[in-house]
Order: sequence, then C-alpha cells, then structure tokens
Amino acid sequence: MQNRPAIVAVGRTKFGEHYGKEPEKLIEEAWLTASKECDLERRDLEACYLSDCFLPITNKLGLEEGFLSELTELHVPMEVTRSVSAALLTACHAIQAGAYNTVLVGGIEKMTDRWDKIRDDLMLLEDPWSYYAGGTPEANHELLLRAYINKYGITGENLDKLNVALAQVSVKNHANAAKNEYAHFRRKITVDHVLNARKAARKSLGLYDFAPISDGASALILTSEEHARKMTDKPIYVLDCSSATDYLNFTARDDLTHFTATKIAAKNAFKMAGVAPSDMQVVEVYDQSTVLEMVSLEDLGFCEPGTAWKSINESRPEEKSYYEINGRRVFVNANGGLKADGNPLGATGGAQIFEIFKQLRGEAGERQIDLGQETPRYGCTSELEGFGTKAYVTIFGRE
Amino acid sequence: MSSEPIERRVSYLGDRLKSSRCGICGKEYFEVRDYCGDCGRKSFGKMESIDLFYEKGKLELCTLVTEPTNKFMKLENYVYGIVSFHGGKIRVPGRLTDQILKDGETVDFSSLEGREVVPRFRRRYSVGKSDVVPTISLAFTLADEYYPHQEYTVVQPSKEYDTPGIVGYGFYTSRFRIREGSLQRSVPFIDEDAVTAAVESGKLALIHSGVDSALVGKIYVGSESNPYAVKPIASKVAQVLKLGEEDGDIQGVDAVDMEFACKAATSMFKDAASLVNYPKSGIKYAMVIGADNSQAAPKGCPGGELDAFVGYGGSAFIFGKQDVLAEIEGWYSVTSDTPDFWRRDGEPFPMHGGRFTGDPAYFKHVRKAATKLMEKLNVQASDIDYFVTHQPNPQFPVKIANELGFKDEQYAASLQINKFGNTYSGCSPAGLASVLDIAKPEERILMVSYGSGAGSDAYLLRTTSQIADKRQRQKLSVKYQAENPFVEFVDYTTYRRLKLGM
Repeated sequence: MQNRPAIVAVGRTKFGEHYGKEPEKLIEEAWLTASKECDLERRDLEACYLSDCFLPITNKLGLEEGFLSELTELHVPMEVTRSVSAALLTACHAIQAGAYNTVLVGGIEKMTDRWDKIRDDLMLLEDPWSYYAGGTPEANHELLLRAYINKYGITGENLDKLNVALAQVSVKNHANAAKNEYAHFRRKITVDHVLNARKAARKSLGLYDFAPISDGASALILTSEEHARKMTDKPIYVLDCSSATDYLNFTARDDLTHFTATKIAAKNAFKMAGVAPSDMQVVEVYDQSTVLEMVSLEDLGFCEPGTAWKSINESRPEEKSYYEINGRRVFVNANGGLKADGNPLGATGGAQIFEIFKQLRGEAGERQIDLGQETPRYGCTSELEGFGTKAYVTIFGRE
Repeated sequence: MSSEPIERRVSYLGDRLKSSRCGICGKEYFEVRDYCGDCGRKSFGKMESIDLFYEKGKLELCTLVTEPTNKFMKLENYVYGIVSFHGGKIRVPGRLTDQILKDGETVDFSSLEGREVVPRFRRRYSVGKSDVVPTISLAFTLADEYYPHQEYTVVQPSKEYDTPGIVGYGFYTSRFRIREGSLQRSVPFIDEDAVTAAVESGKLALIHSGVDSALVGKIYVGSESNPYAVKPIASKVAQVLKLGEEDGDIQGVDAVDMEFACKAATSMFKDAASLVNYPKSGIKYAMVIGADNSQAAPKGCPGGELDAFVGYGGSAFIFGKQDVLAEIEGWYSVTSDTPDFWRRDGEPFPMHGGRFTGDPAYFKHVRKAATKLMEKLNVQASDIDYFVTHQPNPQFPVKIANELGFKDEQYAASLQINKFGNTYSGCSPAGLASVLDIAKPEERILMVSYGSGAGSDAYLLRTTSQIADKRQRQKLSVKYQAENPFVEFVDYTTYRRLKLGM
C-alpha cells in the first residue's frame, strides 16, 4: 500500500451490559484511552469515522456525527458506517489520498438497550424474507453447518469430531477471554458445557456456540506513515483493507457453506498487501458462531475447504489456545473472539483491531501469543456485516 | 430484496411467491426482477413473470427454532429451513407449518431433508390488534402427509348447458381436530383463520373445476369470523387466486363479502348462478365461498355452550354454464327478524337464545323454505336422492330431515357435524360438497341452509354426467380430510390456543 496508513493508538471499553451508560459515554471512554496513549489533542483530529449498526434503532439516535461533534467539540468532517472495518477502510483511503494526517476511527453499539426486540431487528435487517418465513439469527448458522456436513459428506466418527471441534472453538475463546479484562464473558467453560447446551436446544448449535449481544465502544487513531513516527516508536501499519459484498438473502446464494464475500475480500487483501495467509501469526475472525470461526479459516485461506474442523480438532485448542495448521501455529481470536469478548456490532471490529495492535506490539500482557522469543509480525482481521452480505479483510504489520 | 412496509401493503408478492425467469438464459429469481443479473441490459423487457403458488418444492436443509423472534413466539417451536423449486433454480427460506412439537421433542432433520413440500397460504406472524394481518406462502407442509400437492390445470370446457349450475367445488379444513365424546371438530392451526380457509377452498375449487381463474368475474365470500370489521376477505381471495383478468397488480373481478350468520354463502348461490346466466354480464364464472373459524366463547363462560360444536373450514363453489356438474333446478328463500344468535360489534364471541334457537328459529325457517320449494317444483321427499341442511349440532338436522319425510340414507351422507363441527358459513356447503363427492349423474339434491337472524335458502340441484368425470381431479375430498391418517387430535387447552390464532 502506497503511503501506508498507520495505527498509533487504540482504546476500548469493556464489552458487556452497560445499562446505565449513554452511548456517547462509551465512545468517550474509548476515544480518551486511545488519545491518551499517543498524547493526542482533540484539535489535532482532522476527521472522524464512526461506525454503528443499530443506534438509530436501539437508542433512537440519528445523526451520530452530531453527538460526536459535541463530544470532541470539533466541526471536522465526520462519517458514519456500519462496522469499524468499513470505517477504517474509508479512513485509510482518505489518509492515502493525502486528505488528512490524523483521524479518529471508532465504533459504538448499545444492544442491551433493546434486548427484548434486538433479535427481530437483527433478523429483519439481515434478510427480510428469512424473517418473514420465521427465521432467527441463529437458524442460518445451523443451516450453513448442515449444508457443510452434507457437502463434505461428514458422517459417523468424523461428524462427532466436527461437533467436538466446534465445541473446542468455544472453549478456547472463553479461555482467551478469561485473560482479557475487557471481555464480556471471563469464565472458562468445558467441551461438555457446549455439548450439553446443544442437547438442551435439540439441535446442532446451542447457547455456547453463539456470540452474545453486547454494549461497548472502540476507537483507534489512524495517521499517515510519516506522521506516525512523530507519535510513536511502534506504529502498526494497515497493509491492506479489502471488502466484498453478497446477496442479502442467504438462501438464494450459490454457496451455502462458505461466504463468497470473505473469499473475495481475502484474496484481494493478501494480494494487495503482498503477504500470504501463511505469514499470519495472529488472526481475529468473525465468530458470530463457532461454525463461522471454522468456515472463516477456510474462507481466509488457512485451510482447504471442508478440512478446518480436522485442523481444529487435532490442535486441541482447549489446551493450547492456538491452531496448528500445516505445522505452523496460528493464534485465532486471542481476545476471546465475538463469542466471549462480546459482539457490540458497530464496535466489534475495533476490538479485533485492538487485539492485533497489542499483539504485534508485544503488549498483550497475559494474552500475548507464544511464539518463543519472537513478537508476531503480521496479523489480520475479518469482519462481516449481516450474514456474509458484506465482508472486510484487513491486514496489519509492523516494521 | 424486500422492504417491510411495502411487503405489508403489497403482500401478494409473498402470497403467490412471485418470481421471475430470464427469457434469454432461463435463470430464475425469487421475487420480481426487471432484468437478469447474468444477461444484464439485454434482458430488460425479456423477464417472464412466474410464481410458485401451485408448485411443489423440496426441503433442502432444516433446523429447529426453539426461540423464535417476537412475532413468531406464538408458534413456540417449529422446523425452519431452505426450500428449493424447479430443481434448485430457486431457493427460498421457509418454515414447516401444521406441526405441534411437544416440549423437549427432538426432530431428526435428515428424515425431513429431501422431502417434497407444498407452499401454504398462511398468516405471516403476530401483529397488534389494529394492524393489517400479513399473510405469506413461505409456510410449507410435507407433500406426502395431510395435504398432497395438486397441479392446477386449466381444462377447455366441452359442453354448454341451458341451466347454470355448479362447475367445481372445494372443501378445506385443517388437519387438527378435537375429539369430545362421539363428536370430532376441526381446529385451525395457529396461523390459519377465515381468510386462509377461504383461499384454500377457492384454490381447491379451481383445481377441481379446471376453470381458468381469469374467467371468474365475481367472488362472494360469506363469513362471520373475518379478522377485520372493515376489509373484505374477498379482495384477498381475488388477488391471491388471480380471479378475473390480471392487469399488473389489479384484478378485473368484482369481489364482495357477505354476512348473514351461517347462510351468508348459500344466499349467494342464486346470485352467482343468475349472474353467469345474464347474457350481458360478460361473466362466465362466479365463485361463492363460505369460510369460518367458527367463534364461540370458552366453555364455562356466557355463550360457551357453543364451544361444544364449533369447527373450522371453508367451502367454495364455482357457478357457470359450461361443464356443469350439478344444475340448479330452483330455489326458495325465507327471512324473518329472529334474534336467536348474534354477535355485537367489537365483541369477540357470539351469544345465543338457548332453546329459542330451535323451534322458533332453525326448524321454522328450514321447514318453510324446504316445503315451499318442494311445492313450487312439485317434488316429494321420495323424488330426492340427498337431503342437505345446516348442522349446528348433531340432533337438529336429523330431526328436521325426519319431519320433512327424508330417510336416513337420504341425509346421512351430508352429516359432517360429527367430523368437522359447525363450520358456520361453510357448514351446509360442506354438507353439499360431501354429497357431490359421492353422487351419481342424474341424482337430485335438496339443500336447505339456515342463518340466524334468521333465514333459509332452499335449492334443488340435479347432477349431470360431468360429476363423475371431474371427481378424479380432486384428491382432497371431504372424506379424504375426514378420515386422513395424518389428522392430529389436540386437547381443549391447545384447541383454544390454536383457535385464538397468532
């Protein structure tokens, strides 16, 4: 990427239930943390890119730019997107174009303010026809899993292994989140917890397979490469952001087992960044369900289609916190993933980037991934909007 | 794409499952598309409009929904999945309906995947009491169970009759029943109501008659349980069944709802027959439907005595002069102002006059209409093969039949009250349908309806040779639905829950 955009600081709130906090208090906290980290004054911001998916619905807040303007007492250009990855992509383009030197990228969501209606909203916005037919946000994940099992002819002992592999994903993510002070759930679970929840639900995925609804905010300061050096010794560069789109209606898509949008975005991102999936040491994927973590490994190119469950199962991630893929350690969702770190839609991508940033700088503390003496050099995030309607793949690297 | 406010107003998109096919490459799309994504600009104006209303699909994948979204909560648990049509050219989301899953009951998904399913026209989901009731056909039932898939084939008529009469009919009731003593009664599934029963019976009548729906120039729907005080059922039926000439989103048909307690539909038989007989009407066929989710207060409440007898279902008859299967020989109607059964505006359940509903009401009117017609046409009870009358309970029809001189073999075939309960506007028409299901050519049927308030319509019908020819076109006969092995019996609590609807 020409004129590489660089992240110089990140900040976030704890994800979870913030019943007493206004949305602006959450973004304020995240922004203050980030700006303090790089010693940035609010008046140095030249633009803001904020993301939220549901604030107009959950909190009846439109024109979020307005409250961000009040908060920062700035009158600079501000734009709102639906995910932090989308905000980052737009911000990167602006930095690369030379429009700005320093911008704020943030995300915010308050889903518990509408806990009683949020599943209807999620489903209706994800795909109206599925909603009319009685679909739920969880059902599409289960149908994708059934399609996967059918397509790859997974039966008998292998099917048991796949089911356990998906449980191991959840156990690993909960274990990672236990070390994450910002995580929604900081409780370790066992494979039996996951399997029993499925039995109670009478289907292939249960309570412990799905990410929760959360409140939270995240923020980062993005600058040009030249500017970054003045602000920090350890900037993290955005090597590429790519996105792709797909139909709203999941059932009408050609591929029911994978996300075409993620595959396209990943292919483009790795090509543009000049790195390969095998260079990635730490990866944050969009595990709205355990199935999506498995499928993401294939869509991003870490595993061949139809094989990720084997790699997961054989890696024993419930003990080791990483996957062993082709003899290489890949740390996936070191922050606990959406499953345990939480999933406040508009802020989630910021938490993923937060984790990659900390890991590449060797500042993840207890969660720092174990590569011997080495600090990881490359990482990536993948984020979805809807059920694969939009996909973003972003690749990060340090000097 | 779809948008909730538009889809609520323009619900026939989902009711018919409107789709498109590219005239160039044949690619199919669920929903209306003006061009094909593959063929691009050159496909503008070359897209063909298709729909999946009479099609058969395949359940590709499914799962269980145990925690529905708010609007589906009253369905509790259901199977949800992906249904494909035309060998996978179109895939749509859908739920299986007409299934009551017990608490903790497990479903073997692989035993359902791959099975053939039929799209069913149902209520879409729960809405507020003041809202439009949305409907959709993304509810499915298994084709090898209660409701088989039937193709709708338009048949060119072969014979013009001098006298108008019935050219086809359909009777529909749900697969759920409640059994109390010797009486069984139909219970709607939770997403069914008078509107869906009207559409179902009308659909079956079209299939049975082979009449081109575009030639149906008038639709009358009689009901006393329309979910709306103001908004006709008939307009829904006209749009969903594409009655009359279709022009964009408007149908060239006259549609109207009737209300006269249980005779709202039978009253219009003569009007429909007269209309098709009037040379300047330009109307070849007219459809009359009687459909009700018969209302009754719960047992133990005032008016709750009715809850021992009420049923659910719809009957549809198409009248015309071509390929008539039963000619109308004559009719006689009587009316008096008799308050034996009523429901005040805004009240959910009807009230009745106790013993007053008998002699001064039901018997008086049925007797008068029957004897007057028999006198008028100079026929005796012995000249008639089948006697059909309104069936508010098991005793009344037998008593009046005997009094009028009919023997068991003349009226037994029409008695459906023991199987389906009193389906109100659809009740005597259901009796007529059950007789037409078995009648031979050149037999005479006397039908006398009764509607509280009060009045009776008596009709004398004579069957033709067409009756036997058309019979094979209808799998869903009255008997088929009465004795179907997939009928499911529910307890009283479940019955009340289902009857109340979504």
